[in-house]
Amino acid sequence: MRGKGLITAVIILTFAALMTYAVVSLQVFGESTGVRPLGEFYLKNSYFGDYSARSPEVVTSILWDYRGIDTLFETAVFFLAIIGSLTVFRLTREQEKEVKNVESAPTELTPIVKDVTKVIVVMILAVSASIALHGHLTPGGGFQGGSALAVAPLLIIAAYSKYTLEGHGMDKTRALILRSIGLLGIALVALVPLLSDGFIMQNQPIFPAEIGGQLIGGSLIYYNFFEFLAVGAGFTAVFLLLSIPEEKFKKILGVKK
Amino acid sequence: MSVLFYIGALLIVIGALCDFFGALGLLRFPNFYVRLHAATVGIIGGAAVPLFGVALLALGADFLPNRYAIAGASFITGVIVLLASPAGSHALAYAAHRAKLVEWEPKVDHLGEVRESD
Repeated sequence: MRGKGLITAVIILTFAALMTYAVVSLQVFGESTGVRPLGEFYLKNSYFGDYSARSPEVVTSILWDYRGIDTLFETAVFFLAIIGSLTVFRLTREQEKEVKNVESAPTELTPIVKDVTKVIVVMILAVSASIALHGHLTPGGGFQGGSALAVAPLLIIAAYSKYTLEGHGMDKTRALILRSIGLLGIALVALVPLLSDGFIMQNQPIFPAEIGGQLIGGSLIYYNFFEFLAVGAGFTAVFLLLSIPEEKFKKILGVKK
Repeated sequence: MSVLFYIGALLIVIGALCDFFGALGLLRFPNFYVRLHAATVGIIGGAAVPLFGVALLALGADFLPNRYAIAGASFITGVIVLLASPAGSHALAYAAHRAKLVEWEPKVDHLGEVRESD
């Protein structure tokens, strides 16, 4: 064991020394502070100029403007995963009712956890909305905001129960409807430019970069909002399915004890 | 540099020390509950306190663009950590106690003494 640790330490130290040497002596990162030609092209076409989203978060505008189709298919992979898990858990109408039915009072966590969850859930909703709606200004965006949003129902499921969430109106069907609205929104925003002689998923100058003096980055804010909705609701649906008690599934599948 | 800078830097140094002692405790303490205590030292002292430090540091730095945004974001994150971490460690300890997963060898048990004398 001791020899193994020694070898690991030697490898780490050698690597660190080589990296330091490369950075300090060989100047692999270069000393020039100027913008390289490719960077200049991207900046000119995404931040400056008339045919740009004028979004200071250049990465977002490149993701949705220059490689929009690529991003669309990346998103599609996630939604295929959600569809896959929904298919694994597919139930008939009676079974759905059975799964929603509360037999005995579900065990909840202590009052300390429940009260903190109440406060934290509100804060998470605000923070996730801020991450998504500032997606064209700061790092973040629809997917990240939606993932943060999905933490809120997860916390409610952990501290209270799945039935509390369903009792307050957030059941699987509602989550799927919200997710579909999000997907439909993304598709519509992508198709709108075709109506005014643009290309599919084109941003400028079809969508205005500013509304009422506020920078909204053209189509970026719509994409971010709908992606936020779709990802958050999709995750919520999967979490609701995963939190179905094991006994109920054993009953549905007819597993003998 | 303003006073805010020095207070913020001090809070970050305190955070680094708390992280160090938390990690040390996590490795060396004998059982689950005391290790959980060490982990909480690492979270509150090592994450919430330096986040407040960063907020003060950003407020004190006049040259920094968007310093109010940075300060606000760090402050909110600090408050969330401050609220969530005690609740989380409480839930962990409660679950471990309820499930009787940890061997219970108290050196001092005042609660048990009170219960016996009742």
